[in-house]
Amino acid sequence: MVADSYDVVVVGAGGDGPVAAWKLAEAGLSVLIIEAGPFHGNEKWPNPHTEPGAEASSDVEDLSGELLDEQFSTREFEMVNRLLFGPADDERGFWMRKFPGDGAILQCAGVGGTTLHYTGCHPRAYPAAIDEQDHWPIEYADLLPYYREVEELCDVQPAPVTAKEELFFRGAAAAGWEFIDEMNVTRPGYRPQPNAIRQPDDRLHVDGDYDGDFTYPDVTGHTLGLGDITGSPHPRGAPFEEKAKRASNVSFVPAAMRTGNVTIRPNAFVVDVTTETHLGDRPTATGVTFRDTWSGTTTEVGAEVVVLAAGAIETPRLWMNADLPKNEWVGRGLTIHFGDNVMGLWKADELEATLGKPTIDQHEGENIAARFDYPGLGMLQTVGTTPGIGAILGFGASASGFSFQNDTEDAPWDTMGRLAGTELKRILSNYRRMIQVLVVSDDRPMKRNGVSVQKGAEDEHGPIPLVNYAPSEADRRRRDELAEIATEILREAGASHVHRSDSPPTALHLHSTMRMGKVLDQACEAYAVDRLFVADHSALANGVGGPNPTNTGQALAARTAEKIVTRYF
Amino acid sequence: MYQKNALRRVRTFLAEKARWIRTIRRRVLGRKCADRPGDLHTRVTFRAAVDAVLPNTPELEAEIGADHVPGGNDVGLAEFVAIYVDHRFQLGLPRTRRNVELVKPVANVLDAAALKLIARGNNRDEPSDEWPVKLFDGTDVSPARIADVAGPFARLSPKDRLRAINVLDEIEAQVTLRNGRFVEFDGGLVGQLVVGFAELIYYSEWQGYPDVTRMPFGQDHANDPTTVQGWRQTGFPGFSNGYPCLRGYLGTETGPLGSGDVWTTIDDRGDAPVSLLEAPGRFRENEYDTDDYEEPYPEGGD
Ligand SMILES: Cc1cc2nc3c(=O)[nH]c(=O)nc-3n(C[C@H](O)[C@H](O)[C@H](O)COP(=O)(O)OP(=O)(O)OC[C@H]3O[C@@H](n4cnc5c(N)ncnc54)[C@H](O)[C@@H]3O)c2cc1C
Repeated sequence: MVADSYDVVVVGAGGDGPVAAWKLAEAGLSVLIIEAGPFHGNEKWPNPHTEPGAEASSDVEDLSGELLDEQFSTREFEMVNRLLFGPADDERGFWMRKFPGDGAILQCAGVGGTTLHYTGCHPRAYPAAIDEQDHWPIEYADLLPYYREVEELCDVQPAPVTAKEELFFRGAAAAGWEFIDEMNVTRPGYRPQPNAIRQPDDRLHVDGDYDGDFTYPDVTGHTLGLGDITGSPHPRGAPFEEKAKRASNVSFVPAAMRTGNVTIRPNAFVVDVTTETHLGDRPTATGVTFRDTWSGTTTEVGAEVVVLAAGAIETPRLWMNADLPKNEWVGRGLTIHFGDNVMGLWKADELEATLGKPTIDQHEGENIAARFDYPGLGMLQTVGTTPGIGAILGFGASASGFSFQNDTEDAPWDTMGRLAGTELKRILSNYRRMIQVLVVSDDRPMKRNGVSVQKGAEDEHGPIPLVNYAPSEADRRRRDELAEIATEILREAGASHVHRSDSPPTALHLHSTMRMGKVLDQACEAYAVDRLFVADHSALANGVGGPNPTNTGQALAARTAEKIVTRYF
Repeated sequence: MYQKNALRRVRTFLAEKARWIRTIRRRVLGRKCADRPGDLHTRVTFRAAVDAVLPNTPELEAEIGADHVPGGNDVGLAEFVAIYVDHRFQLGLPRTRRNVELVKPVANVLDAAALKLIARGNNRDEPSDEWPVKLFDGTDVSPARIADVAGPFARLSPKDRLRAINVLDEIEAQVTLRNGRFVEFDGGLVGQLVVGFAELIYYSEWQGYPDVTRMPFGQDHANDPTTVQGWRQTGFPGFSNGYPCLRGYLGTETGPLGSGDVWTTIDDRGDAPVSLLEAPGRFRENEYDTDDYEEPYPEGGD
């Protein structure tokens, strides 16, 4: 049951909201988390996509690994459609956002939020992005204790190496880059991903003779059959908290529930933040109103403190739709790690010589397990995907048209652009001899980029987010240089053909739309509204230099929770 | 020469536009198919898009084998893309489906893009009825009927259709809902649907569901790689619980990352070779110093 009021209401059970909830609940506060999407793997919702189920869950015993096994099929088309941002009801489509060009925003709804899709990569920010880039009002050192806390709770460990990572590391080394074994990265080089994924059983070694069915308790940890982007139930048969990928639903949600102080209300979209304003004073947040996504009924709930954790698009949208005070930076400064895809294709005999087998087999291993860091530019990471996701992310879009329209005579890559027709089918026939490298650039916050709303363009929750994003000239140059480095690494590793997508802006990582120092103070409380905090990636003051942002978003959320306790309780 | 080309271009454009207006009239008068979203014009347009993006490719037979010949229209991809758009891209109130029909606007945006391409003279081939008619070879829809409803997009050659998709980003479209609310969308969304999503669906497990005209939800899947064309054409072996493919952990014998036997050496340039080691270690919690940081491409941002 949802009560009339709580000490704290957290809006959004995504990557970061549950971290704040956990810390607040550990401090003894009563917390309600309101989540727009479904709650997977919870006995209160045995059929989360076909019937409304219960109202809320507050008992850790409700969590069920068996249900996760059933609900997370790992079939890519089904799971992408189940997890992407939209209501739980199978009969209904996505919640719309407007995004420029043929790019897209990838976010999920549901307990776990976009970490249901994420590949578990948990590097820290580049220290220089916090201490030297002039965006942050706090120091990297302030984040360190919280990084350690987050890394411990979600088991961050160096990722295992399979064929695709070996090939990438060989290429990086041959291209002259240094090996890095550090957490706090200040120079370019290659290293394994620090992943919030439990390492595989050592019996899964290629030289071993494992012939089991990769289920728990026969094996523990990751089973090296991808699955991370599609929710990941591996190892099947494992209890909820023994799943290898430590998405926030598996790591922080149970920890929060175990305190006995947390209630989670899924299928509930927050549409308003209620405030009280005493004469001449700033408004004070007093609670929220949410709308049940199955029935459409609305409910008001009171709180001493409200924490917005709806992600970098919905948090500013909610602020604007709730008519909270205008601030020139609300919704502005969006960074998305303006990215690109560079693909390497190999000949079978070349692979035989380096890997001892004629294929790379990108479908084996973790999705993303090797990285290249370059503070000031961003990062590269290898990506193994199932073929459908690989096709849409790697070949489905380009800012420079179809490959047959582009002359690459003087370019480092052999082909560039969107692929379709014969070229597409030919390249994808090499799926098992191909590696995709994701280029992730350190784009900088610009006021012109962000989220706005417009009356009339609405869905059932009010005006929809209209997103604008255009990279700067320097953003482009950072990305170009990274794409060139990726190309060189792939060539050094023996690739016979390199393809660059020149992707249009596409957002997998979204941050800095409610920036600390602009919209929020150093405790992440809104300058313009008392008792209203933000604890998601929108609070980040920039794109953390390019590394995958979740570790930093979660560390900051943990810090914010502590500030809330000392400030108001 | 230039003038003659320009004249020809204007003539082609006017002729295509006039035809298009006529087809719109016919479509308004024509009946909607009961069992699938959109009308025949939509179906022709979606088939034309799929034919450009995932064509039947006899030319690949000699190069990589007969398995690589069939394309999207051989497995009903266009029809499913329309169903998919209809199902997933809706707005509004719980339990009232189809309050916005996006399938027809998508087809119309493709036609608008085709007209733009033609107006600019950027099509390489003359538009022709032959293309859309060919898309329905072997079906019971008559060529005359196809020629009647086919819009300018479907009448372009396959490469020109891709060129038209490329100018979509310049088009802003709007769908007005019954209650007066509206949704604007960038033409780029259409490109995403007919290229990106078509590719996702084609290479995914989709074709392995018993009913390929429904969303996968609630359907079983045999996970048999031989029954999914996209899997046969990529060599994807189907979904698996796991693979015994671990090669080890990257590290050095002297550092904290990795320990145990060396399986293979990655880089032997330095004093401590970088190798794949038997057991995992931990990252170093290092001191850091950012004083030397230099911006490769300076820019303050705001
Ligand atoms: C394919 C993919 C792979 C990725 N891999 C990585 C990775 O390896 N490492 C990494 O660091 N990052 C990765 N990311 C990004 C990472 O998932 C996100 O950065 C992170 O989840 C963001 O956390 P958040 O809390 O800001 O937002 P989200 O995780 O998006 O959470 C927001 C939550 O709020 C809910 N919500 C929204 N609006 C409302 C409302 N009005 N009322 C109630 N609830 C609401 C949403 O449903 C959602 O659950 C990946 C992303 C994608 C798409």
